[in-house]
Amino acid sequence: MGMMKRILLHFLSAAAVLSAVTAAVSCDRFLDITPTGRVIASTGEEYRALLTYEYKYVPEDRGLASFRSDEFVFGRNYTSSEDIASFFDIWTWNDYAQQPTTAQFGWRRYYHAIYISNYIIENQNDISDASAAEISQLVGESYMMRGYMHFLLVNLYSPAYTACRPDTARGIPLQLRADVEQVLKPSSVEAVYRSIVSDMETALSYLNVREWDAEYRYRFSILSAKAILSRVYLYMGNWEKSLEYAQSVITEHGGLVRLNVKGAVMPTRYDSEENLLALEQVMTSLYKGAGRPSMDVFRAYRSGDGRKSVFYNQVTSSSVSLLKGGGNEFSCSIRTAELYLNAAEAAVEMGLKNVAVAYLDSLLETRYSASAWDEYKPEIKVMDLETLRETVREERRLELAFEGHRWFDLRRWDRPAMERTYQEETYTLDENDPRYVIPLPAEVIQANPELGGDFI
Amino acid sequence: MRSLTVSIALLLACAPVSAQIRHIEGVVSDEADVLTGAVVSSGGLNCVTDLDGRYGMDVADTTGTLSVSYMGYRTQTVRLKPGQERYDVRLQTDNRQLGEVVVTGYQKIDRRKLTAAVSTVEISDEKTGTVTNIDQALNGQVAGLSSVVSSGAPGAPVRIRIRGTASINGVQDPLWVLDGMPLEGSDIPAMEDLKDIDEIYQTSIAGISPSDIESVTVLKDAAATAIYGARAANGVIVITTKKGREGSNRVNFSTRLTYEPKTDIGRLNLLSSDEKVGLELDLLSSGYTFRKSKGAVSQILADLGETDAFIAGGWNALSDGARSAIDRLRSVNTDWNDILFRPVFNQEYNLSLSGGNSDAHYYTSFGYTSEQGTVKGVGNTRLNLNVKGDYRFGESLKVGVSVFASNRRQDSYSTDYNGFTNPVYYSRLANGYFEPYNADGSYNYDTNVQGKEDSELDFNIFEERANSRNRRDDRQLMAIADAELKIGHHIRATSQFGLQYDSYDLARYDGEDTYAMRKEKLFATYSYADGKRTFLPDGGRNRTTSSHSRQWTWKTMAEYENSFGGKHQLELMLGNELRHTESSSVYSVAYGYDRRTLTSQPVIFPTETSASSYPLYRETNLENAYVSWFANGSYTLLYRYTVGGSIRFDGSDMFGVARKYRYLPLYSVSGLWRIDRESFMKGLRWVDEAAMRASFGLQGNIDRNTSPYLIGTFNKVTILPGNVETVISTETAPNPSLRWEKTSNANVGFNLSVLDHAITLDVNWYYRRGTDLIAQQMLPLESGFSSSSVNWAGMENEGWEISVGSRNISRRDFTWTTNLNLGINHNRIKSETVAENSTYPSREGHPVGAIFAYRTAGLDDEGYPLFISPDGDAVNAEQLLKLKNGASTLTAAEQRNLYSYMGSSDPVASGGFINSFSWKNWQLGMTWTFNLGMKVRVQPSYSPTSYDRGMNTNRDILNRWTADNTGSSLPALMNSGKRMQEYIQYSEFNLYSMLDIWVRDCSYSRLTSLRLAYHLPEGLLSRLHMHSAAISLEARNLCVIATDYDGFLDPETMGNPFAQPVPKSFILGINVGF
Repeated sequence: MGMMKRILLHFLSAAAVLSAVTAAVSCDRFLDITPTGRVIASTGEEYRALLTYEYKYVPEDRGLASFRSDEFVFGRNYTSSEDIASFFDIWTWNDYAQQPTTAQFGWRRYYHAIYISNYIIENQNDISDASAAEISQLVGESYMMRGYMHFLLVNLYSPAYTACRPDTARGIPLQLRADVEQVLKPSSVEAVYRSIVSDMETALSYLNVREWDAEYRYRFSILSAKAILSRVYLYMGNWEKSLEYAQSVITEHGGLVRLNVKGAVMPTRYDSEENLLALEQVMTSLYKGAGRPSMDVFRAYRSGDGRKSVFYNQVTSSSVSLLKGGGNEFSCSIRTAELYLNAAEAAVEMGLKNVAVAYLDSLLETRYSASAWDEYKPEIKVMDLETLRETVREERRLELAFEGHRWFDLRRWDRPAMERTYQEETYTLDENDPRYVIPLPAEVIQANPELGGDFI
Repeated sequence: MRSLTVSIALLLACAPVSAQIRHIEGVVSDEADVLTGAVVSSGGLNCVTDLDGRYGMDVADTTGTLSVSYMGYRTQTVRLKPGQERYDVRLQTDNRQLGEVVVTGYQKIDRRKLTAAVSTVEISDEKTGTVTNIDQALNGQVAGLSSVVSSGAPGAPVRIRIRGTASINGVQDPLWVLDGMPLEGSDIPAMEDLKDIDEIYQTSIAGISPSDIESVTVLKDAAATAIYGARAANGVIVITTKKGREGSNRVNFSTRLTYEPKTDIGRLNLLSSDEKVGLELDLLSSGYTFRKSKGAVSQILADLGETDAFIAGGWNALSDGARSAIDRLRSVNTDWNDILFRPVFNQEYNLSLSGGNSDAHYYTSFGYTSEQGTVKGVGNTRLNLNVKGDYRFGESLKVGVSVFASNRRQDSYSTDYNGFTNPVYYSRLANGYFEPYNADGSYNYDTNVQGKEDSELDFNIFEERANSRNRRDDRQLMAIADAELKIGHHIRATSQFGLQYDSYDLARYDGEDTYAMRKEKLFATYSYADGKRTFLPDGGRNRTTSSHSRQWTWKTMAEYENSFGGKHQLELMLGNELRHTESSSVYSVAYGYDRRTLTSQPVIFPTETSASSYPLYRETNLENAYVSWFANGSYTLLYRYTVGGSIRFDGSDMFGVARKYRYLPLYSVSGLWRIDRESFMKGLRWVDEAAMRASFGLQGNIDRNTSPYLIGTFNKVTILPGNVETVISTETAPNPSLRWEKTSNANVGFNLSVLDHAITLDVNWYYRRGTDLIAQQMLPLESGFSSSSVNWAGMENEGWEISVGSRNISRRDFTWTTNLNLGINHNRIKSETVAENSTYPSREGHPVGAIFAYRTAGLDDEGYPLFISPDGDAVNAEQLLKLKNGASTLTAAEQRNLYSYMGSSDPVASGGFINSFSWKNWQLGMTWTFNLGMKVRVQPSYSPTSYDRGMNTNRDILNRWTADNTGSSLPALMNSGKRMQEYIQYSEFNLYSMLDIWVRDCSYSRLTSLRLAYHLPEGLLSRLHMHSAAISLEARNLCVIATDYDGFLDPETMGNPFAQPVPKSFILGINVGF
């Protein structure tokens, strides 16, 4: 016993020496290091920063898809070998057996934006240091983000709503929870659209910013949400709703930029009167420089059309270069001109000829020189419905050229046959070709084989 | 049992037995220090020295001698003189036995009380061969330790594994400890793809010169490593450096001069120019479409407009001009091996000064090493300085200070995105018919080797080499200060403060006239109103990274040691450790750079978007702190039975880790039974030593990169002009259910030494069971993330480690000793959660390195692979995988079932076999290392869908299936126009590399070292006033005995045909001491 006591005594004295040394440093304070650069979002500002990141990296696939439409031509003289390596397979609709260097349409990036949207929606009650209105706006934008990302995905990777049986056609997986462990199956095109519409309508009940100032115009607002809804309903062939939302936006903010005057500004500029949502650049400088506008598009503009000189620069008699796009100042996801065209198209489809003509007039009056318009306006007035439909489609092609609309419009209208020639080789896309739907990237199927099988 | 105890007690008791007694006392020490626990025997009585090396005993007057013994030392007998009471004894080390104490980094443990599985390797040229870095020295020296060179480049780190793989995702490298200070920065990053192999990289170990190292102790089981906490889950390697010894000043000088012959790439079996031209002609006429405009033949025919004529009419349809141009190609045979590689001559010099007296010792050394790579332009130099002193102040305080400083420079080639500037890679892909220089001496550009269908960029490897540079300068400073204070006879307080400071500057320069720069400028092209051009200024690019990392560790321990009644011995230790690490790096890039004038030009970015793609400056900073408490103790009875235990708590500032995961106690319990001390062993005089030890412990690891929360990093972006905003990027998936990865570890060991240590045997059996192991799992991309860490598996490692040493012949002039170190490891995955989306099978019941492949059944009548279906039929890929648009329509589970298990990529047995002969003053050493019984998945020698005819390849392609060669086992080249489903599957998915024909057996043994040395005889030395002198000649990696590794340079690098080969070298060493 005495021995044990002695040991204990010795040992305690040693321990005392030790603790004297270490007590100088308080453990908790020593371990309390605020990491530089890393964060778990908790404040409203931090949640906003999460969403801003997603806004920043929304893929520019509407621009990439433009190569598949009839807008661009590639040529030995002006398309660099690097651009050939990246885009030639896309331009020639070569979806299988691509070069390894071929650019890929996005997938994960969209779902990452969807993840963050879900994360914000799910955690809205835990956001600190923000007013209820700020939180509500953020949640509304998240619903819009989720809806818009699903909308872009379903239009890239599934048949157009109006070109299939939406209830049985394979859509894309719907991701409605911030849960990384789910393995999803694709939903039908109809289910995807139902979710998109529901997200966007829900967003409207949360959003409270009517319009953002120019430098924040990449964010969703009440106006841009309604404008996007007009496009979604148009793609669904729900003409009444499309017209209703287009009308509503035009009533509130229907301004158009006059392109028939000298020194007209590009209407896609982020700070232009027309721009409602400056989110996607669409025609990045990379895409813009890869090819030249097809002369078929350029020649389709009538003489006296102000858009010709605002959108294009004539290089030679047989070649033009594109002025639209090429930088973040031309970011534009939707602008007022589209709403006039959406309204006109919806009205035509509903048989409301006069309504259609009225919307078309309002737009074109700001596009054509006075003399040209005097000539063209009466022509439109007397068109039968079928001719008017063609005119509305043609004006949509010319107005929204190189803004990422053409491929999607072709998909939902006629899916015509197309042909390309490059160095004496001809590449064709048949009418109604299955390649009007872009196949899922191999890595997507590898990561989720559920997506490779047949859709039932 | 009782009588046994009593008799032992009597034996050990320091009590008088006769009436006339005298007292004797003294101190037992060795050259450097006092010895605790030495056994002092006199007149049938025994006594043990205390912490200060003191003993005292009363013996009978008639006793004539006193003998002192201590393991690892020669037993010394002292004649007792009448009237003298004090006898201080200095013991001499016995070289036949390893050290008396085992250095664990925290403590020095008396080998007689050691309960743990450890191995100690003395570092000297005789024992380990000539190495420039310490990590190379351990190959084959320690049973259960496997080492693989990461690359043949000079200064490349060695990948070391102790007792197999313990973790999948976490760090698998052992913890390195330098004189008690755990080192930071010793982990080797995974270098899987080609681009990473080009990165020049060294770990913090590289700064230490092996000639300053005395020994290395490898701690293997939980009993040894638990004290280190979570970082020691993969074992610990403790470096003990040399220190000064008492005596006159010593000067030691050594040099090693190394010759490395040029690498021979003949084994790669590449096509000759003639064969390549023949192949290109064949492909053209067969209509193989992939990159059809590539290759000199296609280019000649296209230029002459005869492509169609050739396809229609063959060789005979060609004009004379075309024929002679093509025939000229056949006659050009550029020897890429010869012009890209070189033989090299390397040098190393070391000078050390050491000495001391009873109160102070010093050791100073200076070393210089210069290693050149067999790849031209690649090299590595090191300057290192080591200053060390230890001082004694009175009886109770000892202080030591040591400083290690080194400066290293590595030169390598600059790397581009495709890896063509890597000469090893390029030498395999460049065509023999391509001449790098034009007749006028200007560069000829290779347009074939670019990995693209169509490229206009000029590439020439010699131009690239001349106009670019990749240089890394490393500086390292480590300082360790320790103090030891004795408080009374039984308590010792020690404190050690260690500082490690590493920094490096990496400068990567690409001149204007390089492919890398041309490519960079092409990517930075912008469509200005007046046309397309690059926005980067004329000139080159200089990228510099400067990195600093600093750590300090301060540990304080109190140790208590006492023996009671000569029977019981108790040791207790309690300690605390604080650790703080900080690292930062700055990256910057200058464009328009001119390396002669050191000037650069501003970049005028056309848009903010393009500016954000070219960040000119980046900075990182990471700071972490740790607090740990630990304790251990042991109780020894009669120097025969020892039980011990240790425990450690680690706390850290880990960010985003739930509080409950911050602390996990790690512990071990262990025991030792020294059988040779038992009385029943008394009769077996031929047994010198026999002992058994056992331990059990728990180790753990947490994945620091995964958090239950969504963790983001701040950044600044501009979305719309003029508006800079803060964003938080979150590219790491959160995982709320992630738990600690735990490994329980059991060890049973037996060691035996017989016939005056002529044969020694050390056998260890171990069992390690890991639960909740963490691995990266691919996530469905719809999650928004590509992968996440999950607790996915349980795994066990069971193995034997056998070390046998024998003195086969021991004559006056001749001795022959043999050492065999053998490690046998069986690894098995006990449970594995296969992700729902995985198409690769579960390894449950198989080793972690399990390789699965599709069983093939030869080729069909069009040369496409046939598979054995689950029903046993031979089917093609379309039928096997039910392809649609080239993708399988089978569920993931169905796809998993199509694979068959082929074997494991980890060796079943590995180790070393070492023979040493000495005859008079000559010594011959031979070390074989081996890895047996593994499988390797090799890279297919060509892709059937995307073989690029612009590049050279292995001769296998000549033996592919064609209509004229239907007997081949290698598939035909496929065209996208035919059998579309299979074509897409083979070109887009990895089916082809998963065929069983790409899995090979691999077993090999390498003669790592063959070394002949001559020591100058004593007589001559004393006439020359020298202490020692030796000259040696060593051949390293002289030969390999292996199973089939055709088409690859080394069996070690069969998986990657682009790795630098393991170099052969011849070394002349001279070592003199004064």
